[in-house]
Amino acid sequence: MKFIKPSSLPDLFDRLQNYEGRKFFLAGGSDINIQIKNRMIRDEPIFYINHLDELRGIQVVDDTVIIGALTSYADIISSPILKEKLPFFRNSLKLFASPLLQSVATIGGNIANSSPTADILPLLLVLDAEVRLLTRSKLRFIPINEFYTGYKEYVMKTNEIIGSVHINIDAEKNWLAYYRKVGSRQSLTIAKLALAGIMKLKENSITAIKIAAGALNEYPRRLTTTENYLKSKRKEDIADKELKEVLTEDITPITDLRSDKNYRFDVCLNLIKEFINSY
Amino acid sequence: MKISFNINGRNVKLDVDPMRRLLDVLRDDLELTDIKESCGEGECGACTIILDDKPVTSCILNAVHADGKKILTANGISKTRIGEILLDCFDQTNSVQCGFCFPGFYVTAYHYLITDGEPSLEKIRYALSGNICRCTGYKKIFESVIMACERLQEGS
Repeated sequence: MKFIKPSSLPDLFDRLQNYEGRKFFLAGGSDINIQIKNRMIRDEPIFYINHLDELRGIQVVDDTVIIGALTSYADIISSPILKEKLPFFRNSLKLFASPLLQSVATIGGNIANSSPTADILPLLLVLDAEVRLLTRSKLRFIPINEFYTGYKEYVMKTNEIIGSVHINIDAEKNWLAYYRKVGSRQSLTIAKLALAGIMKLKENSITAIKIAAGALNEYPRRLTTTENYLKSKRKEDIADKELKEVLTEDITPITDLRSDKNYRFDVCLNLIKEFINSY
Repeated sequence: MKISFNINGRNVKLDVDPMRRLLDVLRDDLELTDIKESCGEGECGACTIILDDKPVTSCILNAVHADGKKILTANGISKTRIGEILLDCFDQTNSVQCGFCFPGFYVTAYHYLITDGEPSLEKIRYALSGNICRCTGYKKIFESVIMACERLQEGS
């Protein structure tokens, strides 16, 4: 494999012009090195970007929290800004992998790797995060909800990189929040499924709700049919049979080495109920 | 590619393939065999080192990740005052069984001692959750870290 270490972000874009085809970016390394070990990556060029510090760090600009693509999960967890502004998001990250991996894994890497089980995605989906994509001369914002188009497929072009992730400062303010990851053990586990949800309640009626699930489809996504069914329902009017029917529209769980589709469906249903009934 | 870093207080310069696993560079080129390899996928913690003040698994890093950085391994830690106290606590509680996971636990526990140090079982369990012991000696390992926290708080 060819190794390229650009001297700066502009230099990265210059060099990217010479590599139109399949290529990989090396940031923290927590996933790509396993793909190399398993020979899923062989001769493709590898661009090392972990030293490009302009892509790292957390800041607030106007009403937006901006997290640089190379920011590690450990840096997000220890950030006073996140602790104050997005505590639900920040606390949920503590459930990812292990502290040892949180130190190297980056938010941009988790998004770009586009695993159906990526831990961060259900959270970003319910918080309506946006991804800022950069090229040499242009930038554009893509809502995370529109980022993926299929299994490991996304709208990002071959000359683009993820610059940062943007979350509104009030994205979780006044919302009742829920995140649960189900795996075979608590730490260091790949999710059998993960569910994130936020809702607003008024006298037992759901006035607003957003739910997203990971590991249940070819890419994590919002459960919009289920959301629409639950919206403006009183909690006691939610019927199990109806909830099952709408959920069937939203998820197409698969059977793989981690668990089978019936299990995934039932657990997803139970998590949605647990989320609603926990408030 | 030429890389340089500081390891256990010593400056080194190497000419290596930047994509080689950092674990291999440290074990094979620098003969730091206190770093163990087990799963090779970042999931067991046997190869834990401290890279620029953070504990990380060296099997999922590349040589290039170490360039310009500061690394501490179990060998280096054992020569510090806190490292000596921690070693003594592991010894007194008989926490080390087969010993293969031990250097990883030792490095992670040392990092906990210098960054937090509260003798809280819950916090220690979380801090060490990236290290796996297949002899399942967790209880004694947690006890030894709590003991080290308490001894440091007493100032011994």
